[in-house]
Amino acid sequence: MKRVLSVLAWVVVALLGAGALGAIAIHRGEPLNAMWFVIAALCCYLVAFRLYSAFVAAKVLALDDTRATPAERHDDGRDFVPTNKWVLFGHHFAAIAGPGPLVGPTLAAQFGYLPGTLWLIVGAAFGGCVQDFVILFCSIRRDGKSLGQMAREEVSRRGGIIAQLAVLAIIIILLGVIALVVVNALRASPWATFTISMTLPIALLLGVYLRFLRPGKVVEASVIGLAFVLFVVVAGRWVAESPSWSHVFTLGGVSLAIAIIIYGYIASVLPVWLLLAPRDYLIAFIKAGAIFSLAAGILFVRPDVLMPPLTRFIDGTGPVFAGKIFPFCFITIACGAISGFHSLISSGTTPKMILRESQARFIGYGAMLLESFVGVMAMVAACAMTPGVYFAINSPAGIVGSTPDAVAAMTTSWGYPLTGQTMVDMAHAVGEQTLLNRTGGAPSLAVGMAQIFSNTIGGGRLLGIWYHFAIMFEALFVLTVLDAGTRVGRFMIHEMGGHLWKPLARTNWLPAVLLCSAVIVGSWGYFLYQGVIDPLGGINSLWPLFGIANQLLAAVALVVATTILMKMGRLRWIWVTMIPMAALIIITMTSSYQKILSPNPRIGFLSGANELAAQIASGIVPAARIAETHRLMFNLRLDAVVTSILVVMILLLIIEALVQWYGILSRRREAVLHESPYIATRWAPNFSGATHDAVVGDAIGDD
Amino acid sequence: MRKAAKKTKRFFRRFWRGLREWCGDAAYESYLRSKARHVGSCRTLSQAEFYVEQLNRRYSRPNRCC
Repeated sequence: MKRVLSVLAWVVVALLGAGALGAIAIHRGEPLNAMWFVIAALCCYLVAFRLYSAFVAAKVLALDDTRATPAERHDDGRDFVPTNKWVLFGHHFAAIAGPGPLVGPTLAAQFGYLPGTLWLIVGAAFGGCVQDFVILFCSIRRDGKSLGQMAREEVSRRGGIIAQLAVLAIIIILLGVIALVVVNALRASPWATFTISMTLPIALLLGVYLRFLRPGKVVEASVIGLAFVLFVVVAGRWVAESPSWSHVFTLGGVSLAIAIIIYGYIASVLPVWLLLAPRDYLIAFIKAGAIFSLAAGILFVRPDVLMPPLTRFIDGTGPVFAGKIFPFCFITIACGAISGFHSLISSGTTPKMILRESQARFIGYGAMLLESFVGVMAMVAACAMTPGVYFAINSPAGIVGSTPDAVAAMTTSWGYPLTGQTMVDMAHAVGEQTLLNRTGGAPSLAVGMAQIFSNTIGGGRLLGIWYHFAIMFEALFVLTVLDAGTRVGRFMIHEMGGHLWKPLARTNWLPAVLLCSAVIVGSWGYFLYQGVIDPLGGINSLWPLFGIANQLLAAVALVVATTILMKMGRLRWIWVTMIPMAALIIITMTSSYQKILSPNPRIGFLSGANELAAQIASGIVPAARIAETHRLMFNLRLDAVVTSILVVMILLLIIEALVQWYGILSRRREAVLHESPYIATRWAPNFSGATHDAVVGDAIGDD
Repeated sequence: MRKAAKKTKRFFRRFWRGLREWCGDAAYESYLRSKARHVGSCRTLSQAEFYVEQLNRRYSRPNRCC
């Protein structure tokens, strides 16, 4: 009877999900309520987790709970720490959830709500979650080895080197792009610039507190930090309203870019306890709180989604970024559906802390489902504003103009009515000088979040506070990834540089630290600068580059996973990783080809450079701007070269894998797995980290 | 009623413990427990030493995603 009820309940969930998804897909005319999105997403996630992840766990991976995990075998209280599955889920989610699933769907909303929402749900269930889950499993079976180590051992030595280079490339491009998102959010905004710059002394204060006064007392330091941060969000309004202070904190794009580059360098060089770690603690609770509040706000307000299901820009002429729905919707959504970067986390800390193999399903697959849900909420927040406002905020001045009336006339001509006064009033309501041409996704997401929050608490009076709270959340979020990523990139440069000159490998030798920091910061700083001076706002060229790099890394992870499944003799189920791998290869190769060689100058890097060269040759470009135009041409050609290098690296890895697969399938090569030997667990079947801790804690008088 | 209060108390205790483990507040206690389980290994670090060592290790590999 219980079983029948359970089956019935799941049938109801599946029907509800299918109905909600159908409503989203076929609905036309009147605005659709956001609840349909929430119901469709949650029901699809529940069914995917209950059925598909269970199938992958049982049939494809054959998870074995009698096998001791690395946390049990190497338990050292440092890296290998047996951790309760709920706590580890929180750890893993906090590590994989970055600004990508917020910004990507916001940008992809230019195609309408339908394509992005469908890809967020389907791509996560069959691609992103599978990647995270399988890589986590592979790493658990190999004592927590990294993706690069697994590629070296299971594919080939060259495969390992390619994976490592791909990781460094994606880190550099990622950091440049997300820094550009922050610059565009803070540009000409004294309130936001003041708030973010004040988080620096707050982080330093917490660093000293945690190092010398109360070592390791993270909760109390976070509470103190949170109080300070909320205060500076409110105090930002006083700064913005003060003519003299407002002037000090009103910065242009180039000044902000230089400030962020200097910040990145300092964060990379300073001891980690002084700036980097306390900044991370500052954002941890804010991140969890903001994501939870956004979900609660959407459920409470239940806003109407005003964006149409498909816009006219599916033809590739979009103002936010150029390119047709295929492949650019997939490249733009990136992290919310499938993210190559997650494979680094799944083969990093998490496999060293997990208690049992079966928990990899909940943590690997489940955390990615939650990240996808964050993406769906960002899509709802972006689509809940009127389309005219969305395009006015996200379109660069080079396309829509820079005055309210010009922007309104342009968006109205596209069929999305808007008046210039609406944008002036909206900017005034959120305490900004202007909301026009704020490319990058962060400001429009902040407007969407602020509207949802203010409809929940405070009404229009608090709109400015909520807007700047959202901007602070997004910018802190990004800066945390920026400084942590810079440090990791620095360590990779140390490792690679050490092959050329041994002293460079010493991570605590000051000259090496200064040099390697300069190399990594200079690399992403150049991409940032390139984006800031780009008349099309930078996002048009750099976000697709980031998306391509990210999705190529996901393809690398799925190539490694497919090779391992083949070696495990799971040929029957190999489509589980092979289909998403093939889809990603098709998507990334098509988009790379178009970004390099498309004859449309807004899409193709080379045709864009050629068009500028033709403009110089025909004398259209004024003499004073010729040097700047040459720089833009160089940047476009550099982007083409970077994209080509990424493509060549991945093609080489695929060839390496194909050779390996042919050898295994034709039995010319022995399928040697590099798993750690089986050791039976000594933990009881009902053992959980928390119980274990409590028992030992009681013994040492801690509980 | 008393049973419900007990359950609520236990829930909050577990939640608090989980929160401390999640944000790193309980990391040193976990380290001490691990040391207690493996008697005879190298010197036990002080809380301040452990805090710095743990941060240096954590931030030398990818720990934040895009």
